[in-house]
Amino acid sequence: MQLLHIVLWFLLFTLTATAQDQFITRNGYISFFSHTPVEDIEAVNNQVLSIVDIKTGEVAVSLLMKSFQFEKALMQEHFNENYIESDKYPKATFQGKIMNLKEVLSGEKGVATVSGELSIHGRTNPLTMEGKITISDRTLRFEGSFMVTVADYDIKIPSIVARNIAREVRVTCILDHHPYP
Amino acid sequence: MKKVVYISLTLLLVAASTAFFLYTRVYNKPHKDILGTDASYTVSAEEILEEFMSHEDHANQRFLDKIVRITGEIQSIETANGMAVLTLGSGEGSGGVICNMDPSENKRILELKVGQELEVKGICTGYLMDVVIVRAVIVNQI
Repeated sequence: MQLLHIVLWFLLFTLTATAQDQFITRNGYISFFSHTPVEDIEAVNNQVLSIVDIKTGEVAVSLLMKSFQFEKALMQEHFNENYIESDKYPKATFQGKIMNLKEVLSGEKGVATVSGELSIHGRTNPLTMEGKITISDRTLRFEGSFMVTVADYDIKIPSIVARNIAREVRVTCILDHHPYP
Repeated sequence: MKKVVYISLTLLLVAASTAFFLYTRVYNKPHKDILGTDASYTVSAEEILEEFMSHEDHANQRFLDKIVRITGEIQSIETANGMAVLTLGSGEGSGGVICNMDPSENKRILELKVGQELEVKGICTGYLMDVVIVRAVIVNQI
C-alpha cells in the first residue's frame, strides 16, 4: 500500500513536471524587413510553430515560406517563385539551445542567448541571437531579432532588382508560447 | 511640323498608358481574391490532415498556394497578434487545420462557438504540426 502511494506520488510529480517543461506556439510571429534607399520590403508570418523545453533549454522553430504575407502580391510571387523557391524548399527551421538557461530560469537575466542552426532554402548556417524572454507557469514569451545575410543561404537576387533588396535582412520574432500539452 | 507633334503626342500617350498598365496590373497587382474565386479543392479537415500526414510531398504538390474549401468542427477560437485563428478538426490526435482568418471576418467570428461545424475557404500554405490555411473566409455555418 505504501509502495502504491510512493508510485502514485512519483507519477503525479513527473506528470506535472513534464507538463510545465514544454511550451508551444502554433501562431508565432516572424517577420523580415529589407531596407534599401529604393524601397522597404516587409513580410509577416503569423503561423510559426515553436517549441521550447525549459528542462533542457532546447528550442525548435519551423515555419512555412508560403505563409509570409507581403504588401504587394508581385513581391510575394517573386519571393516564392524566384528567390526562395518555396515549392522546392517549403520550410525554414531553427534548432537550437538556450545557452544561459540557468540565469534565465532563476530570473537573474531577462535576456536569453540562443545558439543553433538556421535552415533556409535548403542551406544551413550557425546562428546566435539574443532576445527578451519572460517565463511564467502559463506563458513563455520570446522577443528577438537578428540579421540574415541573403547570400549565405544561396538565395540569388537578379541584378535588375539588386538595388531594391538588401543584402542583409532583419528578422524579428515574437513567440508567445503556452504549456504543452 | 504638325505631323511631328501628332506622332510624338501619340507615342507619349502609348508610353504613359503602358506605364500605367504595368504599374497597376503588374507592380501593384492585387492579391488573390478568395471570396470571388472558386476553390480548387473541397475537402474535410480530417481528409486534408490525413493527406499531409501520410504523403506530405504529394499533398504539397496538390494543395500549396491553392484555394481550398474545408469543412470541420471548430476545436478552438483564438486570437494571435490581432488576428483570429480557428482550428478545425476532429480533436483526436495532436493535429488539426489552423485557419488564419481574414480580418474582414472578425465580426462574424464573434458569433462562432467551439464544437460548431464550419466551412471555410482560404489559401493552403503547407503543413507543420497542423495544416495551415491563411486569409481564410467563412463560407457556411452548418
